[in-house]
Amino acid sequence: MATMKFLCDTKRCIECNGCVTACKNENDSALEWGIQRRRVVTINDGVKGEASISVACMHCDDAPCMAVCPANCFYKTEDGIVLHDKDTCIGCGYCLYACPFGAPQFPKQGAFGARGKMDKCTFCAGGPEENFSEAERQKYGANRIAEGKLPMCAELCATKSLLAGDAEIVSSIFRERVAYRGSKNAAWG
Amino acid sequence: MNKWLKHIGVAIALFFSVSVFAHATDKVGDTIEVNNGQIWAQLKAGEEGRTTSTSEFHAQAINTYDLRVLDLRSDILAPAMMAALFGMIIIFVLFIKVNGISKLHGGFSGKLVYRWSKFDVSIHWLGAIPCLLLILTGLTLLAGRFFFQPYIGEGFWAGLVNGAKQVHDIMAIPFMIGWALMSVLWAKNQMPKMYDLKWMMVVGGYINFGPFKGKHPDAGFANAGEKLWFWAFAVFGLVVSASGMLLLFPNLFEPSRTLSLIALVLHSVAAIIITAFSIVHIFMATVMSEGGMECMVSGYCDETWASQHHNLWFDEIKENGTLKYKE
Repeated sequence: MATMKFLCDTKRCIECNGCVTACKNENDSALEWGIQRRRVVTINDGVKGEASISVACMHCDDAPCMAVCPANCFYKTEDGIVLHDKDTCIGCGYCLYACPFGAPQFPKQGAFGARGKMDKCTFCAGGPEENFSEAERQKYGANRIAEGKLPMCAELCATKSLLAGDAEIVSSIFRERVAYRGSKNAAWG
Repeated sequence: MNKWLKHIGVAIALFFSVSVFAHATDKVGDTIEVNNGQIWAQLKAGEEGRTTSTSEFHAQAINTYDLRVLDLRSDILAPAMMAALFGMIIIFVLFIKVNGISKLHGGFSGKLVYRWSKFDVSIHWLGAIPCLLLILTGLTLLAGRFFFQPYIGEGFWAGLVNGAKQVHDIMAIPFMIGWALMSVLWAKNQMPKMYDLKWMMVVGGYINFGPFKGKHPDAGFANAGEKLWFWAFAVFGLVVSASGMLLLFPNLFEPSRTLSLIALVLHSVAAIIITAFSIVHIFMATVMSEGGMECMVSGYCDETWASQHHNLWFDEIKENGTLKYKE
């Protein structure tokens, strides 16, 4: 099977926030107020070296959220997508502390750490509920993977900066771009 | 001759001016060139940027920390917590089987000596009952996924771990009040003395064989073992309370993610130590030391118990007239 990955090409990202909008729209049924699964971060804004990068769950191979979860509610699909079960989630926030990308978010910020059920990017792959069921739509949003489609954010990226798909294909596209650009600063990182 | 010198002079002047210009263009080139390695380095170093998202920590693309924290929890702290609870129980049961308990010489006198006020007894239980619940729920939260979840159904596990979280959060408050009151009010009786060393040398006289048999080392109001427990509880209670507050009220203290992870580790370490001591404490009071439990039930202890286990304290209250019997 594939190993699904996101890659954001900072040389192409124009901070249009199209991916953010696409994600919000596609997963609207599951998103409580204030939850933003994908965001664009611009560093060195307005000065030399400005670069934008679209960030969401990176679906890590060795995911820190999975390692730290007391309820063990995370699981990996056969496509290498990191998903979680909101019925098992206890809203403790450990995954938020452990995630390097700030992907896990919580709908509430009450005292006693009452945060509600965690929400994060699902790579548009739904959740543990039955595919295309109402429960899946309400808790996790879209399931484009089960339809044989890629995440909406990458599909709608106007500059094709945000790439999603099998790691091998994504990296070969990026490598081709870098080779084509030809200069020593063609890649980032 | 003069002409030649003029030519050389012009050549030198030109040479220097060219090299100055060359330097200037070099500098401009350096700044124009956007260094991409630098962008990656900035992001990895935790650079914060501009974002439209208002969610927590979203301005920072990458937060880096020592990833060993994760293995530390699963490979060391979780098994250590299991060992601190179940391992200590097994060790103590075996010890009592081999060694036997500490009986009162000459049995109960029937005369009960005033030892703790009603207030002391109540703050003890104010801390103790939440402490037991916190140990059990904390064990579920730290080690449950490794030791319990594989043997139970998913629905039951979800209920168990969710219940554990709720109880853990609420019980933290009475525990902290009990901890604070006990630590402050009881400290004066827990100061280490020279005779505590001798108590330690003979393990409190609780060992019923070999060279330790039949020893009754001196002890004041608290013996050396109790003092050790008191100070461990005071210190690690502070660690567990402070780190717990960070985790319980994140919107009040706004800890960074890395600080929260550190708090999580400190919380577990302190909890493991308190758990191991708690098991010893419970065994000593209920099983090991005959007549010990009475102290935290009525606040009175048997006269024989007082003279056997806390001889210096008993002599002292007899002398200064504060000895009070139960009516």
